[in-house]
Amino acid sequence: MTSTRSMVVTLFIVALVCSVILSFVYSYTAPRIEETQKELTLAGLKEVIIAEVFTPVVPDTVWKAIDSTQNVVGIVFRVFPQGYGGPIPLMVGLDLEGKITGIRIASAAEGLKETPGLGVKIIEPDFREQFIGKTLDNVFLKRDGGEIDAITAATISSRAVCNGIKQAIEKFASYLCPPLDKRCVFPDAQDFIEAITDTLWYAFGESDTIGIVFIATTQGYADQIEFIVGVTMQGQITGVEILYSNETPGIGEVIRSKEFLDSFKEKIPDAITGATVSSKALINGVKEKVECYKDYLK
Amino acid sequence: MKKSQIFTRGLIKENVVLVLMIGLCPALAVSGTVRDAFGMGLAATFVLFFSNIIISIMRKAIPNEVRIPIFILIISTFVTIIDYFMQAFQPSLYRALGVFVPLIVVNCMILGRAEAYASKNSVINSAFDGLGVGLGFTLALTVMGAIREILGNGTFLGMAILGQGFKNAPVIFMILPPGAFLVIGVMKALINKYVKKETQ
Amino acid sequence: MKNPALIFLGAFLVNNIVLMRFLGLCPFFGVSNAVETATGMGMAVIFVMTIASWITWIVYHGILLPFDLVFLRTAVFILTIASLVQLVEMFLKKSYRTLYNALGIYLPLITTNCAILGVTFLAIDNKFNFLNSTIFSIGTGLGFMVVMITFAAIRERLDLAPINPSIKGYPISFIAAGLMALAFLGFSGLFGLT
Repeated sequence: MTSTRSMVVTLFIVALVCSVILSFVYSYTAPRIEETQKELTLAGLKEVIIAEVFTPVVPDTVWKAIDSTQNVVGIVFRVFPQGYGGPIPLMVGLDLEGKITGIRIASAAEGLKETPGLGVKIIEPDFREQFIGKTLDNVFLKRDGGEIDAITAATISSRAVCNGIKQAIEKFASYLCPPLDKRCVFPDAQDFIEAITDTLWYAFGESDTIGIVFIATTQGYADQIEFIVGVTMQGQITGVEILYSNETPGIGEVIRSKEFLDSFKEKIPDAITGATVSSKALINGVKEKVECYKDYLK
Repeated sequence: MKKSQIFTRGLIKENVVLVLMIGLCPALAVSGTVRDAFGMGLAATFVLFFSNIIISIMRKAIPNEVRIPIFILIISTFVTIIDYFMQAFQPSLYRALGVFVPLIVVNCMILGRAEAYASKNSVINSAFDGLGVGLGFTLALTVMGAIREILGNGTFLGMAILGQGFKNAPVIFMILPPGAFLVIGVMKALINKYVKKETQ
Repeated sequence: MKNPALIFLGAFLVNNIVLMRFLGLCPFFGVSNAVETATGMGMAVIFVMTIASWITWIVYHGILLPFDLVFLRTAVFILTIASLVQLVEMFLKKSYRTLYNALGIYLPLITTNCAILGVTFLAIDNKFNFLNSTIFSIGTGLGFMVVMITFAAIRERLDLAPINPSIKGYPISFIAAGLMALAFLGFSGLFGLT
């Protein structure tokens, strides 16, 4: 009969040795697991748009695609529309004009839960390549008035992909405003001349200066918010766009909504209920900076 | 008993899945394609082989009363090792196998061999036993995976071996869950009919 | 998938633990000879599964995650569940004799039941909160019990049926289970439609 003490001691030693071994295994594999994940994501991103570098705008959801000459060529976003058997992991690339450059759907091995043999056919090139060059106006199934052929006997999955793309474009279109494209916030201007490097530009109309455009940052709820503002000589705001923000999805991110940003053109809006911190940060940031640069409006 | 006999006993005569009917959960769940089935088999073989060796080495030092928790600890250590290595180096296979990788720990076959064999036999014999049983498990899974992938998807390891026409309209039912039950049912019936009679 | 009702229905029918996820097959084929035993086993599984999901949730979010010990998850969970089953057995034996008489003999079998461990892993992987994790395990346990009882009823009839000796026993059970799984396949897409 073994004594209780030797039982406890053996059990303890075994548990200790096992934990130590596992902690070594963990510290060896953890960075590699992360690296593998990154490589897989990068490979996926490169499948939907031709670019060299992808900088995350919203972590794991929106990326800016940058080519070898440092130009932004488009954005990629990842969404999970509800399919027949579960959410469909979908990546969509958009060029600057809002045209789809490619889509990628994870295979069954990567987490697609559509019916084998039917719904999973959405990953095949014949289906996916139809989307290239489509825009918000025609990314529907033919039977819904669009230009996409559904997969036979998998209408729900096919439609889910179209709907996912459509909703994602609507939701993330504001990210498309290419950075430093001053015309987004000052449509009347013919030309821009830099006054402060990468920060402030004069906007020229037919003959003379009609306003300024500037880029500034402010502290949001989670992270810095980078925004671009256009102001006429009369101090009238012509447009506000967000260049970077990482606010809480579904809450703080409403500051990206077109409705909110457009309201700046009339007068400085009130804070959005439910997203007070983020919206106030932007409102105060815009106010302060317009005040700060008013000397240029002469 | 000869080493080769220990090995082939586990591989064929006492095949865990097809003869003893143990370890059915992973056998049915991940035998949808040959690649998944083979990967799962090798992962389980790795765990079984090493846990058998370690348990056999330690068999005299383990107090009888706490042997089960100690076996479980050793087995779960190897399961976690294969779990993390697979995540790092075979991410797509890992995602396909999903929760069945950590669940190797409750596969009755592994604890069963530890209790019934490795804790009573020499290290060399336990190693052969672990390898035999593990590869027997791999064999059964791969055969099921091959049948299901060929009939259900028209492919073998991703290649359309029955022609493109069949690949476009295969017996989808076979790679769905019901197909798994049907395939193992028919296989077991064939074994009962042809193999059992010879041994009797 | 945050709606508790959807989580429940999903675990109960659409992703039925036995027929769709292939977990807990050992008791499914082993203890389903009679409706009565199947009911007992089903009850025991619901009971242990729910408690196990609570304990493992607390252990995972209270100890493993804060101390960065997630790599011990597999080992800790299985040992927790094994000790939990022992404790429950002792407790029932002492305090709730009738319940023990009904469930007692099934409890030891549950330790090696991959359905219990599988559910705790799935609840963690799905990032469920405490409430959703409870609903998920009750739904899963209920799904297990319903399928167990139905299958036991089928097998009681199969025992009396004149069938070829080579498909008697396991083969016919597998084929019957396959047909049940085919019926359950009808539930898939329930989410897509709601």
